[in-house]
Amino acid sequence: MNLPGFIIRNAFRNKRRLALSVSSVAASLFLLITLQVALRELTNPISDEGSSLRIIVRNKVSLAQPLPARQLQTLERIPGIVAVSPFSFYGGLYKGDEKFTSFAQFAVDPARTQLLLADAKISKAQTEAWIADQTSCIVGRMTTDRYGLKIGDRMQFTGQIYPCDLELKIAGIYHGTADDRNVIFHQKYLDELLGNPGTVGTWWVRAAFAAEVPLVTERINRAFANTSAEVRAESERAFVLGFVSMWANIKTLIGGISIVVIFALLLVTVSTMSMAIRERFRELAILKALGFRRRELFAFILAESFGLAMGGAIFGAGGAWVVYHLLNIQKLTSGLFIRFEVTPRMMGLAFSVAALLGVLAAIAPMLTVARTSVVQGLKTLD
Amino acid sequence: MALPIRYSLRNALVRWRSTIATVLGVALVVFVFVLLQSLATGIEKSSGNTGDPRNIMVMRKGSTAESTSLISRQNLQDIRYFPEIARNAAGEPVISADVLVLVNLPRRNHGGEANVLLRGVTPRGKELRSQVHLVAGRWFEPGKREVVVSAKLAKRFANFDVGQSFKSGSTTLTVVGWLAGGGSAFDSECWLDADECRAIFERDMYSSFLIRAVDDAAGEKFIQRIEADRRFKLKAELEVEYYRKQTMTAAPIKWLGNFLAVTMSIGAVFAAMNTMYAAVGARTREIGTLRVLGFRRRAVIVALLLEGGFLALLGGLLGCAVAFYWNGYTTATMGMDTFSEIVFEFSVTPMLVAKGLIFAVVVGLVGTALPAVRAARLPVIAALKSL
Amino acid sequence: MAAPENIVTIRNLSKVYAQGEIQVTALDNISLDLAAGEFLALMGPSGSGKSTLLHIIAGIDRPTSGECLVQGVDVTKLNESQLADWRNQNVGFVFQTFNLIPVLTAFENVELPLLLTRLGRAQRRRQVQAALELVGLADRAHHLPKQLSGGQEQRAAIARALVTDPQIVVADEPTGNLDSHSAQDVLGILQSLSRQAGKTVILVTHDPKAAAFGSRSIHLEKGELTR
Repeated sequence: MNLPGFIIRNAFRNKRRLALSVSSVAASLFLLITLQVALRELTNPISDEGSSLRIIVRNKVSLAQPLPARQLQTLERIPGIVAVSPFSFYGGLYKGDEKFTSFAQFAVDPARTQLLLADAKISKAQTEAWIADQTSCIVGRMTTDRYGLKIGDRMQFTGQIYPCDLELKIAGIYHGTADDRNVIFHQKYLDELLGNPGTVGTWWVRAAFAAEVPLVTERINRAFANTSAEVRAESERAFVLGFVSMWANIKTLIGGISIVVIFALLLVTVSTMSMAIRERFRELAILKALGFRRRELFAFILAESFGLAMGGAIFGAGGAWVVYHLLNIQKLTSGLFIRFEVTPRMMGLAFSVAALLGVLAAIAPMLTVARTSVVQGLKTLD
Repeated sequence: MALPIRYSLRNALVRWRSTIATVLGVALVVFVFVLLQSLATGIEKSSGNTGDPRNIMVMRKGSTAESTSLISRQNLQDIRYFPEIARNAAGEPVISADVLVLVNLPRRNHGGEANVLLRGVTPRGKELRSQVHLVAGRWFEPGKREVVVSAKLAKRFANFDVGQSFKSGSTTLTVVGWLAGGGSAFDSECWLDADECRAIFERDMYSSFLIRAVDDAAGEKFIQRIEADRRFKLKAELEVEYYRKQTMTAAPIKWLGNFLAVTMSIGAVFAAMNTMYAAVGARTREIGTLRVLGFRRRAVIVALLLEGGFLALLGGLLGCAVAFYWNGYTTATMGMDTFSEIVFEFSVTPMLVAKGLIFAVVVGLVGTALPAVRAARLPVIAALKSL
Repeated sequence: MAAPENIVTIRNLSKVYAQGEIQVTALDNISLDLAAGEFLALMGPSGSGKSTLLHIIAGIDRPTSGECLVQGVDVTKLNESQLADWRNQNVGFVFQTFNLIPVLTAFENVELPLLLTRLGRAQRRRQVQAALELVGLADRAHHLPKQLSGGQEQRAAIARALVTDPQIVVADEPTGNLDSHSAQDVLGILQSLSRQAGKTVILVTHDPKAAAFGSRSIHLEKGELTR
């Protein structure tokens, strides 16, 4: 019999407890990874190549305050801008959804969005059909897949923010953007339903060069300073991050929870090792009496502790990787998360945590073994 | 016949060093549970505490929040003379038309920005909301760009002291007073004159009407009348109902609290198991002796369960005590119902404490179960022979 | 003078148990009679089965075959529950390692067996007091075991063994952990229990000097009675 064999045989002595502890470690690491991925997804905004060029212009008062449509002329004349379109968040309830609809609906001027929607892959014919029909819309492929919709189908929405309901015909389906969920329709259609109030929600602007974005936002802000509708222009990324900052302490919250989970994890591993070694006391004392040195006994303990932690890591972290790879997260969370990627960095983090725990959990038992004399150890009952 | 309770209690206390891990583990679980739930309870309390049962709120049909509802002057004309609405001394219907605006403002100490709910309110609107009263400064005067902010919000947002001004868009508003909402949703609002509000933010529509019904029966009639009439496209509900239904912020926090408590309790259960296995291991002779003296297995199991439960209870008390430190602590988050910053207090209620303690004891019992069974299964003689 | 009644009657008692794959014979066809008030010393080398015999008589172990009648009751036929009750009422134990409950005071330790009876609090108290006085420990009643000397601990254990007024007192190497002075004390108490209180005492020992306190000695070797 060799050393690894001995260690493994020992570990499997109490199968039920081994299973319990490995699964607890696995569960905690799974949770830890889930939290870290969620945090990453929530604080890193969706971005594609185009988003670094796009700017959102909103009313300085708040996002809830509309902007006068006449601002369009001023915006067009600002140097450095290659495209401008109205961009109004309709935020309606899709017919059939009970409490909330997880995909957004935006009103734009389709003729002006070629560059703004440059990432969207959609056939020319469909785009033209969309432009031609004021009551039509284009829908992201994720949504059409989810609800089983095709071109020509109608979508109905109840207004929750705007006092009007929509009935749109699907003219095209797009994909390839960072968020393939949205429904995009005509601002003019919305205007007519509202009785032409002459306002838009926000402006969607595309700059000529990414490096110029700060300069262009500055120009936009200045252009409307001291008018009746002052604006706040910011890059699309800053805009999305602003949302997250309104949630204030989500980073702290998740960070705090992660620490707490790790602590609970520590409790599990330390307790398990403690229990395991207590059972083996007599044996270890005998080994000592037979001439095994402390060093070797420590190696036994450490190996088992490490093995327990790593076993948990393989199931927990590995399991998380597999699960999130296979699952359609978008469907499951009703679109709250589009993507849930377990990066190599996170796997590394999880395994490091496990390794550290494996070492920590072995400390107390090692100390006890070191301190206990052979005689005392032999006296222990098992 | 049972072993005396003091046997369990004293045994729990005498080895306190080795039981620390369990007590702390349970304390941590209970702390997190109670803290998160008290957060949710605080949010619910503040919305549950809002409104006068005699008032009825009218909004656009289909709106989920007052701030996104849009109703017209015409609507006001249509309903203001309904008989169910109470009249004041001068014979005018007690109805207030409010305008709600969300304004993005900076927090103190560079804490980022958040949406603040501004309510353009008429004098009648003030009367209808008797919970709200002035605690500093004075009320705004009509026709002036003056605002009275919630005292609680004033602690969080820049330029909210009495006498200071802040800008919204191109308009400057002066803070002339602080209001207190008595622990209700109004503690997260700022009030100004309704007409000024409409002028500044270019609103020709109202957000909501608030009416005082003649009596409860009239109130019900009024609601039915509004709901039934398709011309209006309005909905009416009791003011207290509207606020009570705002659960979107608290619900996910509650869920999180429960979820975390359950997952973390696995660790606590393991710790308890470890402690009790140690106890049983150290006391095999003692347990054997008790069996020799005539105590049944059952008695041994119960005594050990009591011991484990007691330890866990200590942990629970510790966790609750630490969580209680936060009781009454005011904090804020983005309310998912109003999309503006809502201020509330952590609310550690007796019910929560009880839940936390029960949870702790259950964890202790679950952790002790296996060691207790092991103790009971020890053959009497083997226990006596141990050295 | 009438013949003393036999408290304990043992016929063809054997105990065989398996240790792994080997069968070990702890007791081999023992037959024995014990009269009331006798002080029996069970002697023999280690592994001779003397403790096993004691355990069977005291109702904490079962034989593989044979019968053991104590005061007319065949203890080999009682189930666990019945044995527990029987022990409580009929047997007092004294162990080599004292086996007092560390978290309970001397008083509370002595009271333990009474908690399994239906006696009220006042009555229990009286009996505990009496037992403690008998062993001379009344002034230390509220001390914890760790506050007592070895001899005092064993005396408390004897008080505990007596508190339900059992007919039989069994002592398994009771002086093994005591200094000679305390050992004498304890053996003297056991002797007076037999001579004055009329209790039947069974002492397991390997020490001839301790055995001398008894009224009779028997020897066991490899599970058999030799003398």
